[in-house]
Amino acid sequence: MNGMELPLVFFTVLGQAAVGMTLIAAMRRHATDSGGPVFAGRNEWLTALIILGVGMAASLFHLGHPTGSPRTLVHLSTSWLSREVLMLGLFGVLLVIGFLTVPQTSGSSVLITLTALVGLAGLIASGLTYAPPSFPALNNGVPVLLFLLTALIMGPAVCSYFTSEDTQALLTGILGTALILGLVMNLILPSVWMSGGRVMQMTGAAHYGSALYWIRLGGEFGVGLAVIAATRRIPVWLPVVLLAGEILGRILFFSKVVHTATNIGGLY
Amino acid sequence: MNKNQVAFFVDVKRCIGCFSCAMACKNQYHQPPGVVWRYVYSLKEEIYAHHERAFLSLACNHCEHPTCLEVCPVEAYTKREKDGIVVHHQDKCIGCGNCIRSCPYGAPRYNPELKKAEKCSFCWERQDAGLKPACILGCPTKALQIVRLADFKRPGSLQYIAGFPRMTALNPSVRFNPPRQPMEVRRAL
Repeated sequence: MNGMELPLVFFTVLGQAAVGMTLIAAMRRHATDSGGPVFAGRNEWLTALIILGVGMAASLFHLGHPTGSPRTLVHLSTSWLSREVLMLGLFGVLLVIGFLTVPQTSGSSVLITLTALVGLAGLIASGLTYAPPSFPALNNGVPVLLFLLTALIMGPAVCSYFTSEDTQALLTGILGTALILGLVMNLILPSVWMSGGRVMQMTGAAHYGSALYWIRLGGEFGVGLAVIAATRRIPVWLPVVLLAGEILGRILFFSKVVHTATNIGGLY
Repeated sequence: MNKNQVAFFVDVKRCIGCFSCAMACKNQYHQPPGVVWRYVYSLKEEIYAHHERAFLSLACNHCEHPTCLEVCPVEAYTKREKDGIVVHHQDKCIGCGNCIRSCPYGAPRYNPELKKAEKCSFCWERQDAGLKPACILGCPTKALQIVRLADFKRPGSLQYIAGFPRMTALNPSVRFNPPRQPMEVRRAL
Protein backbone atom coordinates (compact mmCIF):
# COMPACT_ATOMS: atom_id res chain seq x y z
CA MET A 1 0.00 0.00 0.00
CA ASN A 2 1.04 3.60 -0.51
CA GLY A 3 1.39 6.32 2.10
CA MET A 4 -1.56 8.46 3.15
CA GLU A 5 -0.03 11.54 1.45
CA LEU A 6 -1.74 13.86 3.94
CA PRO A 7 -0.47 17.11 2.33
CA LEU A 8 -2.05 15.99 -0.95
CA VAL A 9 -5.21 14.89 0.87
CA PHE A 10 -5.70 18.39 2.29
CA PHE A 11 -4.59 20.11 -0.92
CA THR A 12 -7.03 18.25 -3.12
CA VAL A 13 -10.02 18.24 -0.75
CA LEU A 14 -9.68 21.92 0.18
CA GLY A 15 -8.94 22.98 -3.40
CA GLN A 16 -12.04 21.15 -4.58
CA ALA A 17 -14.11 22.67 -1.76
CA ALA A 18 -13.09 26.13 -3.02
CA VAL A 19 -13.95 25.15 -6.61
CA GLY A 20 -17.28 23.79 -5.40
CA MET A 21 -18.06 27.06 -3.66
CA THR A 22 -17.53 29.04 -6.86
CA LEU A 23 -19.56 26.53 -8.88
CA ILE A 24 -22.42 27.00 -6.44
CA ALA A 25 -21.89 30.78 -6.45
CA ALA A 26 -22.07 30.79 -10.26
CA MET A 27 -25.27 28.75 -10.18
CA ARG A 28 -26.80 31.10 -7.63
CA ARG A 29 -25.63 34.14 -9.58
CA HIS A 30 -27.45 32.90 -12.65
CA ALA A 31 -30.45 31.99 -10.51
CA THR A 32 -30.35 35.60 -9.24
CA ASP A 33 -30.30 36.93 -12.80
CA SER A 34 -33.47 35.02 -13.44
CA GLY A 35 -35.15 36.13 -10.26
CA GLY A 36 -33.74 33.46 -7.95
CA PRO A 37 -31.92 33.83 -4.61
CA VAL A 38 -29.41 36.65 -4.07
CA PHE A 39 -25.66 35.93 -4.26
CA ALA A 40 -24.09 36.26 -0.81
CA GLY A 41 -21.11 38.50 -1.56
CA ARG A 42 -17.43 38.99 -0.85
CA ASN A 43 -17.26 37.04 2.41
CA GLU A 44 -17.83 33.95 0.34
CA TRP A 45 -15.00 34.88 -2.01
CA LEU A 46 -12.72 35.42 0.98
CA THR A 47 -13.67 32.06 2.49
CA ALA A 48 -13.02 30.26 -0.81
CA LEU A 49 -9.68 32.07 -1.07
CA ILE A 50 -8.66 31.09 2.46
CA ILE A 51 -9.69 27.46 1.92
CA LEU A 52 -7.72 27.32 -1.35
CA GLY A 53 -4.75 29.06 0.30
CA VAL A 54 -4.65 26.56 3.17
CA GLY A 55 -4.84 23.71 0.65
CA MET A 56 -2.05 25.11 -1.49
CA ALA A 57 0.09 25.75 1.58
CA ALA A 58 -0.49 22.13 2.64
CA SER A 59 0.68 20.92 -0.77
CA LEU A 60 4.11 22.47 -0.16
CA PHE A 61 4.69 19.98 2.68
CA HIS A 62 4.53 17.24 0.10
CA LEU A 63 7.56 18.55 -1.78
CA GLY A 64 11.10 17.58 -0.94
CA HIS A 65 12.18 21.08 -1.98
CA PRO A 66 9.24 23.49 -1.60
CA THR A 67 11.28 26.48 -2.79
CA GLY A 68 11.32 24.90 -6.25
CA SER A 69 7.52 24.94 -6.49
CA PRO A 70 7.37 27.93 -8.91
CA ARG A 71 9.24 25.78 -11.44
CA THR A 72 6.31 23.36 -11.61
CA LEU A 73 4.91 25.60 -14.34
CA VAL A 74 7.64 24.81 -16.87
CA HIS A 75 6.26 21.56 -18.31
CA LEU A 76 2.80 22.57 -19.45
CA SER A 77 3.22 20.71 -22.75
CA THR A 78 2.65 17.24 -21.24
CA SER A 79 2.47 17.38 -17.43
CA TRP A 80 -1.02 17.50 -15.95
CA LEU A 81 0.59 18.50 -12.66
CA SER A 82 1.97 21.66 -14.30
CA ARG A 83 -1.46 22.38 -15.79
CA GLU A 84 -3.09 21.76 -12.42
CA VAL A 85 -0.76 24.25 -10.72
CA LEU A 86 -1.37 26.82 -13.48
CA MET A 87 -5.15 26.52 -13.42
CA LEU A 88 -5.45 26.52 -9.63
CA GLY A 89 -3.03 29.47 -9.50
CA LEU A 90 -5.24 31.38 -11.94
CA PHE A 91 -8.25 30.32 -9.91
CA GLY A 92 -6.62 31.83 -6.82
CA VAL A 93 -5.90 35.09 -8.67
CA LEU A 94 -9.54 35.29 -9.80
CA LEU A 95 -10.69 34.71 -6.21
CA VAL A 96 -8.51 37.62 -5.09
CA ILE A 97 -9.95 39.82 -7.84
CA GLY A 98 -13.44 38.73 -6.85
CA PHE A 99 -12.84 39.51 -3.21
CA LEU A 100 -11.39 42.94 -3.97
CA THR A 101 -13.92 44.03 -6.57
CA VAL A 102 -17.23 42.40 -5.78
CA PRO A 103 -19.59 44.56 -3.70
CA GLN A 104 -21.02 43.19 -0.50
CA THR A 105 -24.33 41.88 -1.82
CA SER A 106 -23.94 41.14 -5.51
CA GLY A 107 -21.33 40.08 -8.00
CA SER A 108 -20.32 40.23 -11.62
CA SER A 109 -21.87 37.37 -13.52
CA VAL A 110 -18.88 37.21 -15.88
CA LEU A 111 -16.31 37.10 -13.08
CA ILE A 112 -18.14 34.42 -11.10
CA THR A 113 -18.68 32.30 -14.19
CA LEU A 114 -15.06 32.70 -15.32
CA THR A 115 -13.77 31.83 -11.84
CA ALA A 116 -15.96 28.75 -11.66
CA LEU A 117 -14.85 27.59 -15.12
CA VAL A 118 -11.14 28.09 -14.36
CA GLY A 119 -11.61 26.27 -11.05
CA LEU A 120 -13.36 23.45 -12.90
CA ALA A 121 -10.46 23.27 -15.38
CA GLY A 122 -8.08 23.05 -12.41
CA LEU A 123 -10.18 20.26 -10.92
CA ILE A 124 -10.10 18.30 -14.18
CA ALA A 125 -6.32 18.80 -14.49
CA SER A 126 -5.99 17.62 -10.90
CA GLY A 127 -8.03 14.51 -11.66
CA LEU A 128 -5.88 13.67 -14.67
CA THR A 129 -2.71 14.20 -12.60
CA TYR A 130 -3.83 11.33 -10.38
CA ALA A 131 -4.80 9.02 -13.24
CA PRO A 132 -1.41 7.56 -14.25
CA PRO A 133 -0.91 4.13 -15.87
CA SER A 134 0.63 2.82 -12.66
CA PHE A 135 -2.81 2.70 -11.00
CA PRO A 136 -5.10 0.71 -13.31
CA ALA A 137 -8.07 1.41 -11.02
CA LEU A 138 -7.59 5.14 -11.56
CA ASN A 139 -6.13 5.24 -15.06
CA ASN A 140 -9.43 6.54 -16.41
CA GLY A 141 -12.01 9.25 -15.64
CA VAL A 142 -12.65 8.06 -12.08
CA PRO A 143 -10.37 10.62 -10.33
CA VAL A 144 -12.07 13.50 -12.18
CA LEU A 145 -15.51 12.20 -11.17
CA LEU A 146 -14.46 11.67 -7.55
CA PHE A 147 -12.96 15.15 -7.38
CA LEU A 148 -16.07 16.66 -8.97
CA LEU A 149 -18.23 14.92 -6.37
CA THR A 150 -16.07 16.38 -3.60
CA ALA A 151 -16.63 19.84 -5.11
CA LEU A 152 -20.38 19.26 -5.38
CA ILE A 153 -20.57 18.03 -1.77
CA MET A 154 -18.30 20.58 -0.11
CA GLY A 155 -19.46 23.52 -2.27
CA PRO A 156 -23.07 23.69 -1.06
CA ALA A 157 -22.02 22.54 2.41
CA VAL A 158 -19.67 25.51 2.93
CA CYS A 159 -21.94 27.95 1.06
CA SER A 160 -24.75 27.07 3.47
CA TYR A 161 -22.97 29.24 6.06
CA PHE A 162 -23.48 32.30 3.86
CA THR A 163 -27.04 31.93 2.70
CA SER A 164 -30.34 32.94 4.18
CA GLU A 165 -33.02 30.44 5.12
CA ASP A 166 -34.90 30.86 1.85
CA THR A 167 -31.88 29.82 -0.23
CA GLN A 168 -31.19 26.73 1.87
CA ALA A 169 -33.60 24.68 -0.21
CA LEU A 170 -31.50 25.11 -3.37
CA LEU A 171 -28.28 24.15 -1.58
CA THR A 172 -29.92 21.26 0.25
CA GLY A 173 -31.19 19.91 -3.06
CA ILE A 174 -27.75 20.10 -4.68
CA LEU A 175 -26.05 18.57 -1.64
CA GLY A 176 -28.61 15.77 -1.37
CA THR A 177 -28.18 14.90 -5.05
CA ALA A 178 -24.37 14.97 -4.75
CA LEU A 179 -24.50 12.72 -1.68
CA ILE A 180 -26.70 10.20 -3.47
CA LEU A 181 -24.32 10.21 -6.46
CA GLY A 182 -21.33 9.90 -4.11
CA LEU A 183 -22.88 6.99 -2.25
CA VAL A 184 -23.75 5.14 -5.45
CA MET A 185 -20.31 5.75 -6.97
CA ASN A 186 -18.46 4.68 -3.84
CA LEU A 187 -20.59 1.55 -3.55
CA ILE A 188 -20.12 0.60 -7.19
CA LEU A 189 -16.42 1.40 -7.68
CA PRO A 190 -14.92 -1.38 -5.51
CA SER A 191 -17.29 -3.88 -7.17
CA VAL A 192 -16.13 -2.79 -10.62
CA TRP A 193 -12.52 -3.05 -9.48
CA MET A 194 -13.16 -6.56 -8.15
CA SER A 195 -14.10 -7.65 -11.68
CA GLY A 196 -10.93 -6.23 -13.25
CA GLY A 197 -7.36 -7.52 -13.49
CA ARG A 198 -5.34 -8.64 -10.49
CA VAL A 199 -4.13 -5.19 -9.41
CA MET A 200 -7.65 -3.77 -9.68
CA GLN A 201 -8.97 -6.72 -7.65
CA MET A 202 -6.36 -5.95 -5.00
CA THR A 203 -7.62 -2.35 -4.98
CA GLY A 204 -11.25 -3.45 -4.56
CA ALA A 205 -10.32 -5.90 -1.79
CA ALA A 206 -8.27 -3.21 -0.01
CA HIS A 207 -11.35 -0.97 0.02
CA TYR A 208 -13.74 -3.66 1.23
CA GLY A 209 -11.23 -4.63 3.91
CA SER A 210 -10.70 -1.10 5.17
CA ALA A 211 -12.64 0.21 8.17
CA LEU A 212 -12.18 3.72 6.76
CA TYR A 213 -14.24 2.78 3.70
CA TRP A 214 -17.23 1.61 5.75
CA ILE A 215 -16.92 4.46 8.25
CA ARG A 216 -17.01 6.91 5.39
CA LEU A 217 -20.03 5.28 3.74
CA GLY A 218 -22.00 5.43 6.97
CA GLY A 219 -20.55 8.57 8.52
CA GLU A 220 -20.58 10.83 5.49
CA PHE A 221 -23.18 9.56 3.04
CA GLY A 222 -25.44 7.78 5.54
CA VAL A 223 -25.54 10.57 8.13
CA GLY A 224 -25.61 13.30 5.48
CA LEU A 225 -28.56 11.85 3.61
CA ALA A 226 -30.45 10.95 6.78
CA VAL A 227 -30.08 14.46 8.19
CA ILE A 228 -31.11 16.11 4.93
CA ALA A 229 -34.09 13.78 4.56
CA ALA A 230 -35.20 14.48 8.13
CA THR A 231 -34.63 18.26 8.29
CA ARG A 232 -34.72 19.39 4.64
CA ARG A 233 -31.87 21.77 5.42
CA ILE A 234 -28.12 21.79 6.10
CA PRO A 235 -27.50 22.02 9.86
CA VAL A 236 -24.51 24.09 10.92
CA TRP A 237 -22.53 21.02 12.03
CA LEU A 238 -23.09 18.93 8.89
CA PRO A 239 -20.36 20.54 6.71
CA VAL A 240 -17.79 19.53 9.35
CA VAL A 241 -18.95 15.90 9.19
CA LEU A 242 -18.89 16.00 5.39
CA LEU A 243 -15.38 17.48 5.38
CA ALA A 244 -14.20 14.68 7.68
CA GLY A 245 -15.81 12.16 5.32
CA GLU A 246 -14.16 13.67 2.26
CA ILE A 247 -10.77 13.61 4.02
CA LEU A 248 -11.29 9.92 4.87
CA GLY A 249 -12.25 9.25 1.27
CA ARG A 250 -9.15 10.99 -0.03
CA ILE A 251 -6.93 9.05 2.41
CA LEU A 252 -8.44 5.89 0.91
CA PHE A 253 -7.79 7.25 -2.57
CA PHE A 254 -4.10 7.75 -1.87
CA SER A 255 -3.43 4.77 0.38
CA LYS A 256 -5.63 1.89 -0.78
CA VAL A 257 -5.37 2.07 -4.56
CA VAL A 258 -2.76 -0.50 -5.56
CA HIS A 259 0.26 0.31 -7.75
CA THR A 260 1.14 -2.08 -10.58
CA ALA A 261 4.70 -2.49 -9.31
CA THR A 262 3.28 -4.05 -6.13
CA ASN A 263 2.56 -7.25 -8.05
CA ILE A 264 5.64 -7.63 -10.25
CA GLY A 265 6.41 -11.33 -10.46
CA GLY A 266 2.70 -12.19 -10.13
CA LEU A 267 -0.26 -12.36 -12.46
CA TYR A 268 -1.72 -9.17 -13.92
CA MET B 1 11.19 4.02 -32.05
CA ASN B 2 14.66 5.57 -31.87
CA LYS B 3 16.85 3.34 -34.08
CA ASN B 4 19.65 3.66 -31.54
CA GLN B 5 17.48 2.72 -28.56
CA VAL B 6 19.41 0.52 -26.15
CA ALA B 7 17.64 -1.98 -23.91
CA PHE B 8 18.22 -4.49 -21.15
CA PHE B 9 17.99 -8.12 -22.21
CA VAL B 10 17.06 -10.29 -19.24
CA ASP B 11 17.74 -13.97 -19.83
CA VAL B 12 15.43 -15.47 -17.22
CA LYS B 13 16.70 -18.96 -18.12
CA ARG B 14 20.16 -17.97 -16.93
CA CYS B 15 19.24 -15.80 -13.94
CA ILE B 16 19.87 -17.55 -10.62
CA GLY B 17 18.51 -14.74 -8.42
CA CYS B 18 21.87 -13.98 -6.81
CA PHE B 19 21.26 -10.20 -6.64
CA SER B 20 24.80 -9.53 -7.96
CA CYS B 21 23.33 -7.05 -10.47
CA ALA B 22 21.54 -5.15 -7.71
CA MET B 23 24.67 -5.20 -5.55
CA ALA B 24 26.84 -4.00 -8.42
CA CYS B 25 24.46 -1.07 -8.90
CA LYS B 26 24.61 -0.32 -5.19
CA ASN B 27 28.41 -0.46 -5.20
CA GLN B 28 28.55 1.87 -8.18
CA TYR B 29 26.19 4.55 -6.88
CA HIS B 30 26.07 4.06 -3.09
CA GLN B 31 22.39 4.80 -2.74
CA PRO B 32 21.17 5.14 0.86
CA PRO B 33 19.59 2.12 2.57
CA GLY B 34 16.20 1.26 1.10
CA VAL B 35 16.83 3.02 -2.21
CA VAL B 36 17.30 0.51 -5.03
CA TRP B 37 17.60 1.19 -8.73
CA ARG B 38 17.61 -2.49 -9.65
CA TYR B 39 15.74 -5.26 -7.93
CA VAL B 40 15.46 -9.00 -8.49
CA TYR B 41 11.82 -10.11 -8.29
CA SER B 42 10.98 -13.75 -7.70
CA LEU B 43 8.27 -15.12 -10.01
CA LYS B 44 5.33 -16.18 -7.87
CA GLU B 45 4.13 -19.77 -7.76
CA GLU B 46 0.97 -18.83 -9.68
CA ILE B 47 3.21 -18.14 -12.68
CA TYR B 48 6.06 -20.55 -12.17
CA ALA B 49 4.84 -23.54 -10.18
CA HIS B 50 8.04 -25.51 -9.84
CA HIS B 51 10.50 -26.41 -7.10
CA GLU B 52 13.05 -24.40 -9.02
CA ARG B 53 12.58 -20.69 -8.89
CA ALA B 54 12.79 -18.03 -11.61
CA PHE B 55 13.58 -14.35 -11.32
CA LEU B 56 13.12 -11.05 -13.10
CA SER B 57 15.99 -8.59 -12.67
CA LEU B 58 14.41 -5.20 -13.31
CA ALA B 59 15.39 -1.56 -13.27
CA CYS B 60 14.23 1.44 -15.31
CA ASN B 61 13.13 0.25 -18.76
CA HIS B 62 14.02 3.52 -20.52
CA CYS B 63 10.65 3.44 -22.28
CA GLU B 64 10.03 4.86 -25.73
CA HIS B 65 7.30 7.04 -24.20
CA PRO B 66 8.40 7.40 -20.57
CA THR B 67 5.63 8.32 -18.12
CA CYS B 68 8.18 9.83 -15.74
CA LEU B 69 9.29 12.30 -18.40
CA GLU B 70 5.72 13.10 -19.38
CA VAL B 71 4.41 13.80 -15.87
CA CYS B 72 7.42 15.57 -14.34
CA PRO B 73 6.34 19.20 -13.81
CA VAL B 74 9.89 20.60 -13.72
CA GLU B 75 11.38 18.80 -16.76
CA ALA B 76 13.81 16.85 -14.61
CA TYR B 77 13.79 13.98 -17.14
CA THR B 78 15.20 13.91 -20.64
CA LYS B 79 15.56 11.12 -23.18
CA ARG B 80 18.88 11.01 -25.00
CA GLU B 81 18.72 11.01 -28.77
CA LYS B 82 21.96 9.03 -29.15
CA ASP B 83 20.76 5.90 -27.31
CA GLY B 84 17.26 6.54 -25.92
CA ILE B 85 18.41 6.46 -22.29
CA VAL B 86 16.02 8.31 -19.96
CA VAL B 87 18.15 10.53 -17.72
CA HIS B 88 16.96 12.02 -14.44
CA HIS B 89 18.53 15.42 -13.67
CA GLN B 90 18.65 15.67 -9.90
CA ASP B 91 19.55 19.35 -9.94
CA LYS B 92 16.10 20.09 -11.38
CA CYS B 93 14.10 17.65 -9.22
CA ILE B 94 11.97 19.21 -6.45
CA GLY B 95 10.92 15.88 -4.92
CA CYS B 96 7.21 16.05 -5.77
CA GLY B 97 7.05 12.27 -6.25
CA ASN B 98 4.86 12.45 -9.34
CA CYS B 99 7.24 10.22 -11.33
CA ILE B 100 7.40 7.70 -8.47
CA ARG B 101 3.62 7.53 -8.34
CA SER B 102 3.20 7.38 -12.11
CA CYS B 103 5.78 4.84 -13.36
CA PRO B 104 4.00 1.46 -13.61
CA TYR B 105 7.32 -0.34 -13.14
CA GLY B 106 8.21 1.45 -9.91
CA ALA B 107 11.57 2.51 -11.34
CA PRO B 108 11.96 6.00 -9.80
CA ARG B 109 12.55 5.84 -6.06
CA TYR B 110 12.53 8.51 -3.37
CA ASN B 111 15.89 9.30 -1.81
CA PRO B 112 15.04 10.49 1.74
CA GLU B 113 18.51 12.00 2.23
CA LEU B 114 18.39 14.17 -0.88
CA LYS B 115 14.57 14.53 -0.73
CA LYS B 116 14.51 13.90 -4.47
CA ALA B 117 13.60 11.12 -6.84
CA GLU B 118 16.25 9.03 -8.57
CA LYS B 119 16.40 5.99 -10.81
CA CYS B 120 18.58 3.73 -12.94
CA SER B 121 20.69 5.82 -15.31
CA PHE B 122 21.67 2.83 -17.48
CA CYS B 123 25.16 3.95 -16.37
CA TRP B 124 25.17 6.48 -19.21
CA GLU B 125 28.39 8.00 -17.89
CA ARG B 126 30.07 4.58 -18.09
CA GLN B 127 28.58 3.93 -21.52
CA ASP B 128 29.84 7.30 -22.79
CA ALA B 129 33.29 6.23 -21.58
CA GLY B 130 33.01 2.97 -23.51
CA LEU B 131 32.24 0.84 -20.45
CA LYS B 132 29.33 -1.49 -19.78
CA PRO B 133 26.71 -0.77 -17.10
CA ALA B 134 27.71 -1.98 -13.63
CA CYS B 135 24.80 -4.43 -13.31
CA ILE B 136 25.73 -6.15 -16.57
CA LEU B 137 29.36 -6.46 -15.54
CA GLY B 138 28.30 -7.79 -12.15
CA CYS B 139 26.13 -10.62 -13.47
CA PRO B 140 28.04 -13.91 -13.07
CA THR B 141 25.82 -15.89 -15.47
CA LYS B 142 25.54 -13.28 -18.24
CA ALA B 143 21.80 -13.25 -17.68
CA LEU B 144 21.75 -9.48 -18.04
CA GLN B 145 22.92 -7.89 -21.26
CA ILE B 146 22.68 -4.60 -23.09
CA VAL B 147 21.27 -4.75 -26.63
CA ARG B 148 20.40 -2.29 -29.36
CA LEU B 149 16.74 -2.92 -30.20
CA ALA B 150 17.16 -2.19 -33.93
CA ASP B 151 19.67 -5.06 -34.19
CA PHE B 152 18.12 -7.40 -31.64
CA LYS B 153 16.56 -10.42 -33.27
CA ARG B 154 16.99 -13.20 -30.76
CA PRO B 155 14.40 -15.94 -31.43
CA GLY B 156 11.99 -16.62 -28.60
CA SER B 157 12.62 -13.35 -26.81
CA LEU B 158 9.62 -11.39 -25.58
CA GLN B 159 8.90 -7.83 -24.55
CA TYR B 160 6.24 -8.84 -22.03
CA ILE B 161 6.36 -12.02 -20.02
CA ALA B 162 4.18 -13.23 -17.17
CA GLY B 163 4.91 -11.21 -14.05
CA PHE B 164 5.87 -8.07 -15.96
CA PRO B 165 3.25 -5.29 -16.41
CA ARG B 166 2.14 -4.94 -20.02
CA MET B 167 2.21 -1.22 -20.82
CA THR B 168 2.09 -0.93 -24.59
CA ALA B 169 1.66 2.85 -24.60
CA LEU B 170 5.00 3.23 -22.83
CA ASN B 171 6.80 0.61 -24.96
CA PRO B 172 9.44 -0.38 -22.37
CA SER B 173 12.93 -0.97 -23.76
CA VAL B 174 13.46 -4.42 -22.29
CA ARG B 175 13.43 -7.93 -23.69
CA PHE B 176 13.19 -11.25 -21.89
CA ASN B 177 14.17 -14.80 -22.58
CA PRO B 178 11.37 -16.67 -20.74
CA PRO B 179 12.16 -19.10 -17.91
CA ARG B 180 12.92 -22.73 -18.64
CA GLN B 181 10.15 -25.18 -17.89
CA PRO B 182 11.72 -27.96 -15.83
CA MET B 183 11.81 -31.33 -17.58
CA GLU B 184 9.67 -33.98 -15.94
CA VAL B 185 11.42 -37.34 -15.72
CA ARG B 186 9.27 -40.40 -15.10
CA ARG B 187 10.50 -43.87 -14.50
CA ALA B 188 8.95 -46.40 -16.83
CA LEU B 189 6.75 -48.89 -14.99
